[in-house]
Amino acid sequence: MKLTSQKAFEEWQALLSEREKGASGVRRVRICAGTGCLANGSAQVKAAFEAEAIRHGLSIPLEFAAESTGCHGFCERGPLVVLQPGEIFYEKVKPEDVREIFEKTVLRGEIVPRLQYRDPNTKQPARTSAEIPFYARQHRLVLNRCGEVDPFEIEAAVSRGAYRGLARAFSLEPERIVSMIKDSGLRGRGGGGFPTGVKWESARKAPGRHRFVLANGDEGDPGAFMDRSLMEGDPHSVLEGMIIGAYAVGARKGFIYVRAEYPLAVKALQQAIRQAKERGLLGRDILGTGFDFDLEICRGGGAFVCGESTALMASIEGRAGEPRVKYIRSTERGLWNCPTVLNNVETWANVPHIVLNGPEWFRSMGTEKSPGTKIFSLVGKVKNSGLVEIPMGTTLRTMIEDIGGGVLKNRAFKAVQTGGPSGGCLPADALDLPVDFDALTASGSMMGSGGMIVMDERTCMVDVARYFVDFLAEESCGKCTPCREGLKALQRLLHKLCSGRGEAGDGKRLGEIGSALADTALCGLGQTAPNPVLSVLRYFPGEIAEHEAEHFCRAGVCKGMYWPRIDPAKCVGCGACKKACAAGAIRGEPRAAHVIERAHCVTCGACLEACPFSAITAVRREEPE
Amino acid sequence: MIEITIDEKKVSVETGTTVLEAARSAGIEIPTLCAHEGLVREGSCRLCSVEVTERGKTKLVMSCMYPVTREGLEVRTDTDRVRSARRFVLQMLADRNPKAPVLQALCSRYGVVPNVPENVEPELCIRCGRCVRACETNGTSALSFAGRGWEREVTPPFHEAPGDCVGCLSCAEVCPTGRITWEEKDGKRSIWGRTFDLVVCDRCREAYATAEQLRHAGTDPETARLCPRCRKTAQQERIRLGNRGV
Repeated sequence: MKLTSQKAFEEWQALLSEREKGASGVRRVRICAGTGCLANGSAQVKAAFEAEAIRHGLSIPLEFAAESTGCHGFCERGPLVVLQPGEIFYEKVKPEDVREIFEKTVLRGEIVPRLQYRDPNTKQPARTSAEIPFYARQHRLVLNRCGEVDPFEIEAAVSRGAYRGLARAFSLEPERIVSMIKDSGLRGRGGGGFPTGVKWESARKAPGRHRFVLANGDEGDPGAFMDRSLMEGDPHSVLEGMIIGAYAVGARKGFIYVRAEYPLAVKALQQAIRQAKERGLLGRDILGTGFDFDLEICRGGGAFVCGESTALMASIEGRAGEPRVKYIRSTERGLWNCPTVLNNVETWANVPHIVLNGPEWFRSMGTEKSPGTKIFSLVGKVKNSGLVEIPMGTTLRTMIEDIGGGVLKNRAFKAVQTGGPSGGCLPADALDLPVDFDALTASGSMMGSGGMIVMDERTCMVDVARYFVDFLAEESCGKCTPCREGLKALQRLLHKLCSGRGEAGDGKRLGEIGSALADTALCGLGQTAPNPVLSVLRYFPGEIAEHEAEHFCRAGVCKGMYWPRIDPAKCVGCGACKKACAAGAIRGEPRAAHVIERAHCVTCGACLEACPFSAITAVRREEPE
Repeated sequence: MIEITIDEKKVSVETGTTVLEAARSAGIEIPTLCAHEGLVREGSCRLCSVEVTERGKTKLVMSCMYPVTREGLEVRTDTDRVRSARRFVLQMLADRNPKAPVLQALCSRYGVVPNVPENVEPELCIRCGRCVRACETNGTSALSFAGRGWEREVTPPFHEAPGDCVGCLSCAEVCPTGRITWEEKDGKRSIWGRTFDLVVCDRCREAYATAEQLRHAGTDPETARLCPRCRKTAQQERIRLGNRGV
């Protein structure tokens, strides 16, 4: 059924909302079908629920409904299921648990305690997700439908408010929408933080017959999955934002650039585009307004640099994904030299909310210069990893300690890496920093697209810098001299430091090359590439100095640059280290302090990792055994 | 025309002129490597940096690409920041290509001493891409970049002798380091693993093109008896004779 007017849409929307409300009493289960939970077998869990319903003679979907949804966010604990009524939350659900859940919770409303989330510190079980600190401290605006609705059903999204922003947008002049976005203070969520409204305005004003709107879904940061989860879990929010944007700037064609490694996101977006077209929300004469807009998906080959705006456009045009010098902005000369608005998928997903609720409402969240919320993927050595949406200005401490539940194994916190490979590592005294574009940039890191990697005392900061520089050197396109040759030079120095061949002056040279590289590189990748190195030099100069002058790695990570030593006072003789030691270098009787024989030790670090009592430390090579 | 200042000097240029051209028109020299007057600009070598101040903001930009669009733009071509940026780029290039004459000259001017890292084989290719752009401009596109990052290199497709090459030597002509070499012997020219027949001018007896090159330009090598220079002379002679004839 194609909707041919705004009124028809409103009636359809009202009908679906009513139906949703009417069904609120139906027993149902929402099963996370994000990539993480699917990999852990959530499809089988869903099948098991349906089989149970049939076995108990419940009719689907009138008496019981099992719905697969997008990412719930708490990926660490997947597969996740939420049961209605009561919003009962279970974690790590396996198909063999389903019979018990069905018989107790679905049929009798009882809880299955062994599947409940327990606070790692207080051991208190949580009944609903709202009782879990991981969820309680979040503000799910962009992710409001993600994990709540089936991403493959447009009706589910519409019943929860999708395309209402679009319907409202059509009653406004395009200029008015641009000024609303400008007034809202929305800034690019891909990391640059450029004011979205300013971008739209300049594309709208730029002369040209054709205009394009593009969505950047080429999330390439290691450990980041914000954009993927959004595209998989609520593709309609991205589509809706783009259609509004196209109407506002006068574009008739758009592209969504997604990594080919995100097959589920591609599938969800394709289905969303198809369904939106069937309903007359996309394509020719949208909602009878006479406005035409078509969307196409473009799959990227997985080059990190293709997340850079001009490289992304080159890639869509069918050329090698290399950036160009952009003294003339893409809003004037972008895709095929036409005025182009490129926004991150998360930025697009913010747009319908602003159009619907107004810029003042949007400004009431977050900070003055960075209004709204931001999605992060919180990973690394943190107890609760997953997808997190918080108001801007939330401190790193809240994110890591409250939402993240603190450092894994209760080890000491050492650093948090924000902004992906080109971000920086911030130390413990930066924990009270508010997370917004400007504070993070001023601290030598950056917002990036929202990766957040927590590191504990067992992390060597020089090795971390080496890891990220290795990644970037591999991903540099090699077009400009500073990035091609400079990253290689940084890489050589860092490998030297991490393999015990450090020399006086290496740290200084890292700083010189790093800052020159940032000043001269052609694109954003190169300009921010030295951030991991520069931030380690700024916040962890001691570790660089130890690697350089003493060939010592205090974290016990760099091979051959330390000896592991067991503190006999702390060792309880549990044997965990002995079991972990592949070289057979650890001696000791059960319940008696163990000893490491250096003659056999290969400094792999497995014992340091294995010891549950932090009884093993890394000491300098010259210290006695 | 817009008036701007380069190193305290007032310069008037057309809107859209690059800072590099503006500086050159005022007799101010800026070193370049990847820029070539006959080719589209790419701004990839990063040597031609200058500092510009526009609307109160000062930034480092590449003069070969930066367009003059606003009255009152201030350009400085010899600040500490500019010099250290140029030195860095030269150092990075010279460390890999210590024997390239063009780099040696620039290094001695900027006080850079090449320092080839261990296990690095000295080369002559600075990846400026002039050859690639020249070949593209000719419409042959027999060369391109392959690989990325440090592994980036100029090569014909699949490292094989390029079928699209016409042996015109444009690539070698624009190469700033002399990396691209060719051979001419017994009426043949060899380049990129291919050998071409040379066409000799009937008049001056100079080999002036390859047969493939003429064919690519839409000329039949059988009928092209004269080189462009001799053709011009012959034409002038004809005109003179013709005039006298009347």
